[in-house]
Amino acid sequence: MKNDSPREEIAERSYVVVTTVEEAVARARELRGDYQYVAGGTDLEVHRRQELVAEHHVIDLTAIKELHAISIDGEELSIGALVTLDEIISDVVVRERVPLLATAARSVATPVIRKSATVGGNLLVKNRCTFYDQSGSWRSSIGSCLRDNGDICQVVGTDAGCYSRNVSDMAAAFIALGATIVVRDQKGEKRYDLTALYSGDGIRNHNLLENDGIILRVQVPIKPVASWYRKLRLRESLDFTSCTVAAAVDERNYIRVCINGVSMAPVLIEGDLAELSLEELHRRARRSCQTVDNDLLPLKYRREMIHIYLEEWWGSIHVDA
Amino acid sequence: MHRDFREETERKVEPAVTEAVKKRSMMEVEMIVNGVSRRLLVDPFESLLYTLRERLNLTGTKEGCDQGTCGACTVLLDDVPVLSCLTPVARCSSRRVTTIEGLAENGELHPVQKHMVETGGIQCGFCTPGMVMTAVAFLREKPRPDEREIREAISGNLCRCTGYAKIVEAISRAAEEMQS
Repeated sequence: MKNDSPREEIAERSYVVVTTVEEAVARARELRGDYQYVAGGTDLEVHRRQELVAEHHVIDLTAIKELHAISIDGEELSIGALVTLDEIISDVVVRERVPLLATAARSVATPVIRKSATVGGNLLVKNRCTFYDQSGSWRSSIGSCLRDNGDICQVVGTDAGCYSRNVSDMAAAFIALGATIVVRDQKGEKRYDLTALYSGDGIRNHNLLENDGIILRVQVPIKPVASWYRKLRLRESLDFTSCTVAAAVDERNYIRVCINGVSMAPVLIEGDLAELSLEELHRRARRSCQTVDNDLLPLKYRREMIHIYLEEWWGSIHVDA
Repeated sequence: MHRDFREETERKVEPAVTEAVKKRSMMEVEMIVNGVSRRLLVDPFESLLYTLRERLNLTGTKEGCDQGTCGACTVLLDDVPVLSCLTPVARCSSRRVTTIEGLAENGELHPVQKHMVETGGIQCGFCTPGMVMTAVAFLREKPRPDEREIREAISGNLCRCTGYAKIVEAISRAAEEMQS
């Protein structure tokens, strides 16, 4: 009997370079979840080496030209998801209108990696943990963890949840600036607040993309803000963040501070400057950051650095005032 | 006499991959490597580094960490430096790849290579190909760099021998020579 199911026509493993968003989404539908979208690939390829990728198919998005553009769209800056971090750093409009983005991009990885790594890829970087981002043999030698088919979280010793931490530096900067993202999936195109992308779940890190979704672009309001950025890491190059703080104060004295690298999702603290105090900031950070000992830098030091950075930033805006 | 591995490798690969192609788990890639057009059957998830070293015998490009942290595998893809260990070869179709073997012209070393030799920027030599390729791309973008800029440019290339001082000096001297 002739079987005309489209599934039969698909290779055991494949790598397809698509040139349009429509083609990507159509291909994803055919593959029924057994695929990974890839842009720069600097995160995905490492996971493949570490046997953390189970999918048999790759849909390469890098040839989709419309996702490579940076443009001004009314009162917003529109940044295509495939714009590289190096392009963010060197773009004149970004440097002049939203310098926080250029500073954040410059703090990611190394100059060579930034030529491949994309904005969309950085926003979707998988959560990290010292007990998970290791080779297959390393992980099995310690009995695996909750995220890796084990029974317990190796950090806290219980099965209550996974505490892997979000390490996207660009997410911290974009969230501080109040950015939104445009996602295309099987149902069409829709715009969301960037904070909605992050689930706060250490295992399933991201929302919004379940239906073969692709981030098309990030929209950033262009308005005068005083911005500030710090990143804690072991070495001044390459390392993922141990704690990133990005902050912005707009002309109405409304503040948005985003803390990342210390919790399962970026933590946003916002409010009117007049109604906030440094003590209140510390209190909200303590309450929101679920920081555990899953980084190369010690837990106590990372927790302390959150408050040191907040204090440093608070001091800087009050000196300016 | 120099043995030409290239055609031999392609011939050798062919029968072995026939079965895989039948199962449709191999794919064809055509790219220009150091000025020579190459047509190969590759695994869909194979890295450019693997293709260069194992299929084309271009072993000048080194495999260090194989996870993007050491820079030893840096090559140029359409003149842009990339880590070949993290670059799927499937993405390189119809593109130009330049490795350390393709840098010298008419038997003359590139100024970066020449000054790496002259200043003692090479000790064990393992990091050298990646370091040179990074520096070559960097000097095209920034022909007159200062020391801080050079150090930042090579911050993704690890060297455990030299302490970097001689490498920075070599790149600085190469920049001067390329300006004159």
